[in-house]
Amino acid sequence: MTWKVPLLRKHDTSVRRRRGWTILGVMVACSLFLSGCAGNGTASSGWLPQGANGGQVTNNTGRVTSLWIGTWIAALSVGLIVWGLTIWVMVRFRRKKDDIGLPPQLRYNVPIEMLYTIVPVFMVAVLFYYTARDESALLDNSATPDVTVNVVAKQWSWDFNYVTANTYSSGVHTELDPKTGNPLNAMPVLYLPEGKRVQFVLNARDVIHSFWVPAFLQKLDMIPGRTNKFQVVPMEQGTYQGKCAELCGAYHSQMLFTVKVVSPAEYENQMQQLRTLGQTGQLPNTLNRSPLLPADLSSVPTPGSN
Amino acid sequence: MATTIPTVEYRTTERVAARPRLLPGQTVVKWITTTDHKIIGNLYFIAAFTWFLIGGIMALLIRSELAAPGLQIVDSPEQYNQLFTMHGTIMLLLFATPLFAGFANALMPLQIGAPDVAFPRLNMFAFWLYLFGGIIAAAGFLTPQGAASFGWFAYAPLSNSTYSPGVGGDLWVFGLALSGFGTILGAVNFITTIICMRAPGMTMFRMPIFTWTILITSILVLIAFPILAAALFGLGADRRFGAHLFDAESGGVLLWQHLFWFFGHPEVYIIALPFFGIISEVLPVFSRKPIFGYKTLVFATIAIAALSVSVWAHHMYATGQVLLPFFAIMTMLIAVPTGVKFFNWIGTMWGGSITFDTPIIWAIGFIVTFLFGGLTGVILSSPALDFHLSDTYFVVAHFHYTVFGTVVFAMFSGFYFWWPKFTGRMLDEKLGKIHFWMLFVGFHTTFLIQHLLGIEGMTRRYADYLPSEGFQTANVISTVGAFLLGASTLPFLYNVWKTWRYAPLVETDDPWGYGGSLEWATSCPPPRHNFDSIPRIRSERPAFDLHHPEAAPPDGPQPDPGTLINVMGSADLGDMTKHGDPGTGSSR
Repeated sequence: MTWKVPLLRKHDTSVRRRRGWTILGVMVACSLFLSGCAGNGTASSGWLPQGANGGQVTNNTGRVTSLWIGTWIAALSVGLIVWGLTIWVMVRFRRKKDDIGLPPQLRYNVPIEMLYTIVPVFMVAVLFYYTARDESALLDNSATPDVTVNVVAKQWSWDFNYVTANTYSSGVHTELDPKTGNPLNAMPVLYLPEGKRVQFVLNARDVIHSFWVPAFLQKLDMIPGRTNKFQVVPMEQGTYQGKCAELCGAYHSQMLFTVKVVSPAEYENQMQQLRTLGQTGQLPNTLNRSPLLPADLSSVPTPGSN
Repeated sequence: MATTIPTVEYRTTERVAARPRLLPGQTVVKWITTTDHKIIGNLYFIAAFTWFLIGGIMALLIRSELAAPGLQIVDSPEQYNQLFTMHGTIMLLLFATPLFAGFANALMPLQIGAPDVAFPRLNMFAFWLYLFGGIIAAAGFLTPQGAASFGWFAYAPLSNSTYSPGVGGDLWVFGLALSGFGTILGAVNFITTIICMRAPGMTMFRMPIFTWTILITSILVLIAFPILAAALFGLGADRRFGAHLFDAESGGVLLWQHLFWFFGHPEVYIIALPFFGIISEVLPVFSRKPIFGYKTLVFATIAIAALSVSVWAHHMYATGQVLLPFFAIMTMLIAVPTGVKFFNWIGTMWGGSITFDTPIIWAIGFIVTFLFGGLTGVILSSPALDFHLSDTYFVVAHFHYTVFGTVVFAMFSGFYFWWPKFTGRMLDEKLGKIHFWMLFVGFHTTFLIQHLLGIEGMTRRYADYLPSEGFQTANVISTVGAFLLGASTLPFLYNVWKTWRYAPLVETDDPWGYGGSLEWATSCPPPRHNFDSIPRIRSERPAFDLHHPEAAPPDGPQPDPGTLINVMGSADLGDMTKHGDPGTGSSR
């Protein structure tokens, strides 16, 4: 409904338009400066962690990276439209010194309101399609793994049961120097064979932890009483940082480990070394401070299997 | 005779206008024994803002600690855990949530033309529950083992007495439960007031958007906070009385997460919707236009509230124990009504005649900031991306863009806007703009770069990071920004003090000149029961209609020319010639 009201006089806006471009230019410059601060990643990976030569660290990282970049392009396009409109209305509809009276008292416009309700629904539908496709691929455990590793978290370190090789290694908490932040003792090492399908079976001895190798672009919680699983194929040899991602008590920030992706021959070599050290068999779930739920106990693999 | 000077000549106009100042002691007694919703609103503002300052100091300690690898500020990582736990608890439950109650108390009865809330004594009781509950929750800092350190979402089993012994955790659990009851009782009060105490003519679809958001938020409080109370009492029973509700062997670990997030996700909308309401009040006044798409905005608010109770498990994607596609699609759908709000806000400014007074600068600062938080929210809603981003600084940056962007920007927008209504004095515009730019630049310097830290692998809740990880430069930038952000509070506090001492009293009902809702049709501050007279309410802008009659809707009934009138002819309104409308009067 519109009523007769004294309308506002409008004047030349070209000067203000130029100011709008200046503001926009400053914003673009700022964002370029901030993106220049990036350390490890590059623009082509959307600043996600990458392999040493920009290659794929696991068979899943390419999938995550392309979904990440695609989603950001869509999100930033929407963002630029809305930021642009906001700056445009600030510049264009500013009250000038010699303006008098009221602008037209527009209350609604049903077609345009329907438009900006329905269009986003379709955008969401597209994003959901790709998300659902990729998330089910990331958690697809149907393939038979070449190697199974039972990773068990504890306050504040990691036990690695190499199920297939029937060996284990048990880590201790990585103490960090309070002055420099450098580790005072070696981190526990998880060895993985390059090019083999690895299944991680995740358990926790006490509180909730989360198994995260940032370079793998994927984490999964380790919940006392429960068993979680996911599979990756490491694609690139190298050393990667691993950490606990779920708050687990005082020394959460020192619950670190190292992942070494090595050639299958070197992997066998490492397993043999564990056997030489007498670390054959598995660290049992009876070490847990609370028993596993029956259904989750049966999904913990038996030693020697894959 | 002529030399006698009449005493009245000594009275200046200023002294006539000034209300008698109460002695400080009298004010204290008056305030702590009051049932006036406006004073209770002020008490909420003072208490919430004090918690905001305390939580802010903790944030500065956290940022200082992260400026370099190693431990420089805290003695142990455990102390660091206490700091971020209490920072989160204070900012969400002792600052943002009561701030909603503060704005609701201060404004909602005025906006619907009511003399007070429905239950004034319950109102005051709710405030005391919040105040003492909050003090109890934070009192853990005074105990030997320190405050709670299990994170503000207190995941079981870390939060039980085995892994987190110490009375600080108990105080946290029971203090928050008590404070939560204050929030619940406040919500009951607001709903009853809005349903039962609207002035004649104030139909539901003429209520200001802010009042609508208070109604919807209060309903959300009634859904979410009882769950929190139940969960906290369960945790308290586990901690103190040997119950086994949240034990791992009975699946209680995930039960806690479901209960907590069923509270926790509506909670973030409880602290967002009222602040969207503040923005929806500020933009029309300084654009000199009505809100664009009033009803869409109301339905968008309802849609956000409805969706917000079906998305809780998006906080649990990385547990591997929830149905991902359902929670992903529901979470993504929330972007739709939120986007509608953005376009309505821009539509309100579109074609307007905008002056950039301090309140609208804060409101536009909110739009620019919150938009980015919304976009990163859509990215996090995708489980395939969240597996990498969950529990990193990307999430920290995201929720500071949404929660700080909403609560703090809209709070200051509301403070600068309604300060004359709260206190009878305007805040200083120049100081307000200095305040805004310091906070805006400080905020974005602090948090924009944290997205990058999270993407590259910096975990949240880490007291320390390795020098070899290359995170220090970004952390230093963030810390510098945090100190600028913290310093921005100083011009505001100076502004409050200066205008309290020296600013003239506001003499008009509407110092901004284009106020729409009913609070602008009564004095600044309003009398004890709010109105000496209430204007006719013919639209959602009764005060605007009163002050700008040339733009007000025409008087008299406005029949909708629908099918009935087309078929039956228009209603018989008596002698139509008298009203200057001879064409439609049917003859009898």
